Amino acid sequence: MPMKIGNERFGERVEKGINNSFMRGAVAGAQDNIGARRLNAIEELGNWEEWRSHGEEIRQHVLEHLDYYLEQLSDNVAKRGGNVFFAETAEEANEYIKEVVQSKNAQKVVKSKSMVTEEINLNASLEEVGCQVIETDLGEYILQVDDHDPPSHIVAPALHKNKEQVRDVFTKKLGYKKSADPTELAWHAREMLRQDYLTADVGITGCNFAVAETGSFALVTNEGNADLVTSLPKTQITVMGMERLVPTFEELEVLVSMLTRSAVGQKLPSYVTVLTGPREELDVDGPEDFHLVIVDNGRSKILGTEFQSVLQCIRCAACVNACPVYRHVGGHSYGSIYSGPIGAVLSPLLGGYEDYKELPYASTLCGACSEVCPVKIPLHELLHKHRQVIVEKEGKAPVSEKLLMKAFGLGAASPTLYKWGSKIAPTAMNPFTSEDKITKGPGPLKAWTEVRDFPAPNKERFRDWFKNREKGGGTSWPEPSKTEKHF
Amino acid sequence: MAGAIQNREAFLNNIANNLGRDRLTTPVNRPTWKHNPQDEVLKGASQDDLVQVLTDHCEKIHTTVINTTKSNLGSTLNGAVQNYGGGPVVTWKDDRFAEWGLKELFTNEWAKQEIDYHEWDFNSASTNINYAEKANIGITISEYTLAESATVVMLSSKDHGRTVNFLPKTYIALVPKSSIVPRMTQAAKKLRERHLNGKSLPACINFISGPSNSADIELQLVVGVHGPFKATYIIIDDL
Amino acid sequence: MKVTLFATCLVDMFQSDVGKATVELLERLGCEIDFPQTQVCCGQPAYNSGYVKESKDAMKKMIGTFEHAEYIVCPSGSCAYMFHEYQHVFKGDPIWEPKAKKLAAKTYELTQFIIEVLKVENVGACLEGKATYHTSCHMTRLLGVQKAPMTLLSKVKGLEFVELPGKEQCCGFGGTFSVKMAQISEQMVDEKVRHVEETDAEYVIGADAGCLMNIGGRINRQGKPIKVMHIAEILNSR
Repeated sequence: MPMKIGNERFGERVEKGINNSFMRGAVAGAQDNIGARRLNAIEELGNWEEWRSHGEEIRQHVLEHLDYYLEQLSDNVAKRGGNVFFAETAEEANEYIKEVVQSKNAQKVVKSKSMVTEEINLNASLEEVGCQVIETDLGEYILQVDDHDPPSHIVAPALHKNKEQVRDVFTKKLGYKKSADPTELAWHAREMLRQDYLTADVGITGCNFAVAETGSFALVTNEGNADLVTSLPKTQITVMGMERLVPTFEELEVLVSMLTRSAVGQKLPSYVTVLTGPREELDVDGPEDFHLVIVDNGRSKILGTEFQSVLQCIRCAACVNACPVYRHVGGHSYGSIYSGPIGAVLSPLLGGYEDYKELPYASTLCGACSEVCPVKIPLHELLHKHRQVIVEKEGKAPVSEKLLMKAFGLGAASPTLYKWGSKIAPTAMNPFTSEDKITKGPGPLKAWTEVRDFPAPNKERFRDWFKNREKGGGTSWPEPSKTEKHF
Repeated sequence: MAGAIQNREAFLNNIANNLGRDRLTTPVNRPTWKHNPQDEVLKGASQDDLVQVLTDHCEKIHTTVINTTKSNLGSTLNGAVQNYGGGPVVTWKDDRFAEWGLKELFTNEWAKQEIDYHEWDFNSASTNINYAEKANIGITISEYTLAESATVVMLSSKDHGRTVNFLPKTYIALVPKSSIVPRMTQAAKKLRERHLNGKSLPACINFISGPSNSADIELQLVVGVHGPFKATYIIIDDL
Repeated sequence: MKVTLFATCLVDMFQSDVGKATVELLERLGCEIDFPQTQVCCGQPAYNSGYVKESKDAMKKMIGTFEHAEYIVCPSGSCAYMFHEYQHVFKGDPIWEPKAKKLAAKTYELTQFIIEVLKVENVGACLEGKATYHTSCHMTRLLGVQKAPMTLLSKVKGLEFVELPGKEQCCGFGGTFSVKMAQISEQMVDEKVRHVEETDAEYVIGADAGCLMNIGGRINRQGKPIKVMHIAEILNSR
């Protein structure tokens, strides 16, 4: 699946999301549940802000010295007998991986969860050459069995599906005969996948973090699927976004701790696996042949720009879990495999404004995302910067809005115009006003009043009240003003 | 044999270019980080405190903890194996088993109990994985044990098959009390020192915290997805 | 103490009662209030929509208007934060950046001012009833004012306080978001209203006219018997 999912327009996607009541219940439940666990996991540390500063400093240092650390990483991988391929584009990455797979005459590939391979649409490219590609993360597996339903969450990809839907998919596609109990479903997947691990020719993984100093890389799972993917097939290919690395083991452990606490509120997940090169000479398990593919695919364009900090991301999805917009529209509304605030910042950068120009506006700039980000990416500020680019450089803002804002610029900056405008407001709004409120507004107010009342402008503006009061001389209480109307 | 590196120069030049500078040619030293909060966790805790922290956390990750002494290890392990329903059992090949007096148990005692047993043997490659795949119990030894997250750390080698940790239905990790450290920080430092001292890192380091699990269906926890359904840590008082 | 009031356009045009309550409250606490008639909008609606150039003139006008002030007090966390944001907007500008920094240093949200500068916790307010409080995002997260309103409300005689479930969630206002992304905004405000209802409170209180107009507008449309009030009105009740 490429980064872009579906061809519907943004409004249609949102409409669909809003009307999917199971999905919304599941998302709200997940946000509340994971959010509480995250809070618990960071509060028990007692100094989370220090951790965040540390995480931020590490990530910034790596980005500033990225060429150096990537060189060091690739040297060390090669020293341990691994092959490294630098891929500028998705196509280059896919071509290389295809070549490796074909050179092994591989029929079957098992994969552990990886966002970057989704981004470059690797599965489709391998399927084209007749390879069977099997996702082994339970969530990804469910989506794959269900005719490649796209993921709706970075960490919990099948969050939008309920267990009955999973059962129906398994029944239809896998001949499953048991109940909708998650344990029975998961154990069925276990049985199916166990055979696949044992018979696969190639294992493909993503990379949570690579370690430059040792040429190692770390995989983080609770299921243990990445471990079987990397121990049983003879060939292993690891695909990493070029920014996902740390200098040494010391930084690795800090970021892994922060990743799992932020993602699911765990101190550590069941499995953190650090792999260095292919198996050693006399080892019995692990791959004989190891390939690391380092993918740019638009990332380098972000370096050196005002958006650079988005590359600090460690894909924990804490921002997704805190976002009040994601909560109501779900992941598919974003039209990208990267959803939520991080998706709204990253998708236009990697995929262009044409497809993703609405995403930066799908935020109230409430700042919940920036607050939870473990590496202090100022996500809401980056969303705001996108808006600025869309207005000023891309010229993609609607004409009516531009005119309105131009008028705003003139009006708001001129006390005379402002005063005149606010003074005539009650009269201008008179035709729309009843009982101190507007229930069917004109122009931009229409969208507002379809859902809510809008207050009628005060007959006496505050500034006039104040002026008159000053003329009347001094303070006018002891009795506080009675509130005449409420919001 | 060293692996191949392809397309590197153009790729890295482009990065440097976008960062608005020339390629970095001299070694970059890590800065002195302004904060090191990881060093503060469980600082100054005694070995017994750490055992307690580990034990408490095991409860949260569905893992059984048994404390024993070196002299009782045989009977403790035998009990744990029986508790998980007996064989087939697969273990690493490791001299420490003999040091801890387990040879008798592995060979004679289990034979008597008709518990099938296999010791990892790099000379017969495919037998190991086939056996591990059918095994009921895998037994390995923790190199470092992280109290905070109740994590055992497994280092692979020709005698330490990585799949012993994953393929069997249940999992028993032997944890020398002396291996327990506050958290991942200390293990990471030791592994880094090992690398800097010129001793190569194992191809696979597994940080394992309890049995395999997933919450991918309606966020309901399922224990035992791709790896073991159950896990036990046996802490051996070796101090 | 002389206080210069930044009333905000919403208060000026739509919620003059909030402005009145703010003036009376501060006067009762011993402040002398000054309201420069040249004040306009802080520029936030255009700025947040990405029209940074268009909003700069308004910002400069506001910096000029409040240059003389000793303390600037604003009954809106979001607009008060906007004054703090100016310094980032004018970053690198030799004339306006220092001015914007000075502006930020003396700008306070109302409850923040009462607690941090006046150092008063009990303003002598009194209101019978059950109330809940909506923590607005900009005030809490961007301006960093969290405790002040709670401290002040806890001292209001007769007021029974219930915490709002999901209080950290945005109400769906977001300025132009509320009309630009109306269908999403509707879902957000609906959940907020549901949470308010769960508390059984008679009053839902807030410190930002924007959020209150959003929540209040939805509550009124649904005809629910919940009063939506600005914290200045509560603190001015006797």
